[in-house]
Amino acid sequence: MRKALAALLVATAWPVAAQDAYVVGVSAAMTGPGAGIYAPVVDAMKAYLDHVNAKGGVNGKQVRLIVLDDGAEPSRAAANAKKLLSDKVLMLINTSLSSTYAPMVTESKRSGVPLYFGGSVCPKDTYPPADPLQFCSSAFGANLDSQGALAFVKAQAKDPVRIGFAAMAIPIARAEIDYAEGLSRTMGMTPVEKQISPPPAPDYTPFATKLKDANPNWVFSWSPWVSQVRTFEAMRRLGWNGRYLTWAHLNAEDELERIKDPEFHVIGTNAFFQDNLPIHAEIRAITHRANLKYPVTYLTEGFIAGMVIEGALKNTPWPPTPQKVLAAMNNLKVDMKGLRGGPLEWTKDNHFRTRQYYRVWRWDTSRNAVSRVQDWQAIDVKR
Amino acid sequence: MQLAVNIAVLAAIYALIACGYVLIYRTSRVLSLAHGELMMLGAYGLAATASLFGGHPLIAIAASAVLALTVGVLVYVMLMRRMTGESVLAAVLTTIALGILLRGLMILMFGTQTQYPLQQLGWTNASLPVGAGARISAAGLVLVAGTATVYLGLFAFLRLTRWGIRMRAAGQNPLLAAQRGIRLHGVYALAWGLATFTGGMAGMLIACDAGIEATLVTIGLKAFPAALVGGLDSLLGALAGSVIIAAAEVLLINYVDPLLSDVVPFFVLLAMLILRPWGLCGTREELDRV
Repeated sequence: MRKALAALLVATAWPVAAQDAYVVGVSAAMTGPGAGIYAPVVDAMKAYLDHVNAKGGVNGKQVRLIVLDDGAEPSRAAANAKKLLSDKVLMLINTSLSSTYAPMVTESKRSGVPLYFGGSVCPKDTYPPADPLQFCSSAFGANLDSQGALAFVKAQAKDPVRIGFAAMAIPIARAEIDYAEGLSRTMGMTPVEKQISPPPAPDYTPFATKLKDANPNWVFSWSPWVSQVRTFEAMRRLGWNGRYLTWAHLNAEDELERIKDPEFHVIGTNAFFQDNLPIHAEIRAITHRANLKYPVTYLTEGFIAGMVIEGALKNTPWPPTPQKVLAAMNNLKVDMKGLRGGPLEWTKDNHFRTRQYYRVWRWDTSRNAVSRVQDWQAIDVKR
Repeated sequence: MQLAVNIAVLAAIYALIACGYVLIYRTSRVLSLAHGELMMLGAYGLAATASLFGGHPLIAIAASAVLALTVGVLVYVMLMRRMTGESVLAAVLTTIALGILLRGLMILMFGTQTQYPLQQLGWTNASLPVGAGARISAAGLVLVAGTATVYLGLFAFLRLTRWGIRMRAAGQNPLLAAQRGIRLHGVYALAWGLATFTGGMAGMLIACDAGIEATLVTIGLKAFPAALVGGLDSLLGALAGSVIIAAAEVLLINYVDPLLSDVVPFFVLLAMLILRPWGLCGTREELDRV
């Protein structure tokens, strides 16, 4: 009844004739502590949609992206969501820290407008059985990432695995590393130490000392990049020579080249630019035209978000309403053109993806280049 | 031994940042809440000079140090000077506004990507043995040595030089100091310059050890409890407060729970405020001013 009322409200409130474009609204951490991860996603998303508009738009209509900065603050995200809804957006997009999710979810539920997480960590509400209004295309997948990572460790390990864990003290990272710790036991590994460092720590050596003293032969970390890499670097400086596996954030390809450590592995779901796919050439060209200030390697996630928005709007007949967009998102299949291991598929029940593919990379000292250690490994996303 | 090294490095970070809070407060009674941002500006200054003077690391470091000092003096001359005679609260609020402005400007000028000035300087952060199986990073060692040098230099400056004695006099009684012919604006500008220089130095050294990230600003605030525990008008107190807080953090990480490391500085601060509100080495009569 409540859903029907919300739908009725939206249907009557959206003055379709007044819109001459598909309008979508983004609340993003363009400034503040998370800006390094989120701003490139939004800029790439915008560049991709500008490119789509330059080619004639979607279904002959332009796509208008309204971007508001929330500085990774929940109160600003709430205000942004209200402002965007007053601008009659068809879809809300969150590209920010998990602390901003709750106010945007509330506004999305209140208005019946779908909420799409593009570049921010996918909430579990997007997994089957999915929340009717929440969708996500970001690379990260809570629990699945740990499953993929620990499966890789197990496949690689010749000796019994003594595994250490490192994470930043933010809810989503702590929950994931707790999950990974439990999972490691079920996979026959021995968890020896878990270090949770506050955001930010002036020096990661004290945390690394405790981890190193536990003598792990593997360490897995799933957190913002700063925490992952500083812990690793501090451990290396303390003389630890084990293997480290961590999440491949936007900057992973460049960072592997900076660190140049053959036992520092990254696991992720987006192809690296070293693959030199046709889509990479397209991203390079669009980036050049848009004069984006980030390295092109940072932009895959934003382009994927742009492709998903384009795909959803393409299936939304004119005149658009949030309900039509929602219907399109509930039955979406977007060709990732090699940027991921397979297409991104959303169903009524699954707003994450039906299958998650993982690759692992490290630095190869003999080739003096980033090298792929494991090709796409699929995990089915089920209830 | 490794624990002692870890405490020394963390204490050096806090002490180098905290002395900026103390210098400004001690001289002008203003609590600068833009210190974290000025520290970060120092780090970005090093990244900028490193790319400008590629291949000449010493020139780049010297240029960034001069830049930090100049920025501090300019902040006073162009902004904080106008707060002279206004309430302390107005001056503190001005520093908050300055911090917000600097944060925005730094994003516009330097972007949001992590930068690594040490690599730009062409150096690597080597791991050095210090005995009994303990190790320290080269940047960490420079941090400890740099902090010791800064504190020794400041003690000598404040006790032995004319400008240092003037600075102490202005801090004790500005009216009397002005009547004796001390140019207060010059003294305050110097205090801001020195504070920004030491904060900038902390930013540069942290950036050399770990790169420059948006979170560097927050590290500036983490040193604030160290300054308060030691007594906001005492350099020696800032040093002692930094050692206490660093030791508490490192020992808790190692023996209890790493999560406690984030709250322990404030727990120590609360304990100090209950037992000795003016801090370890602070002046008792300063309490109402704080």
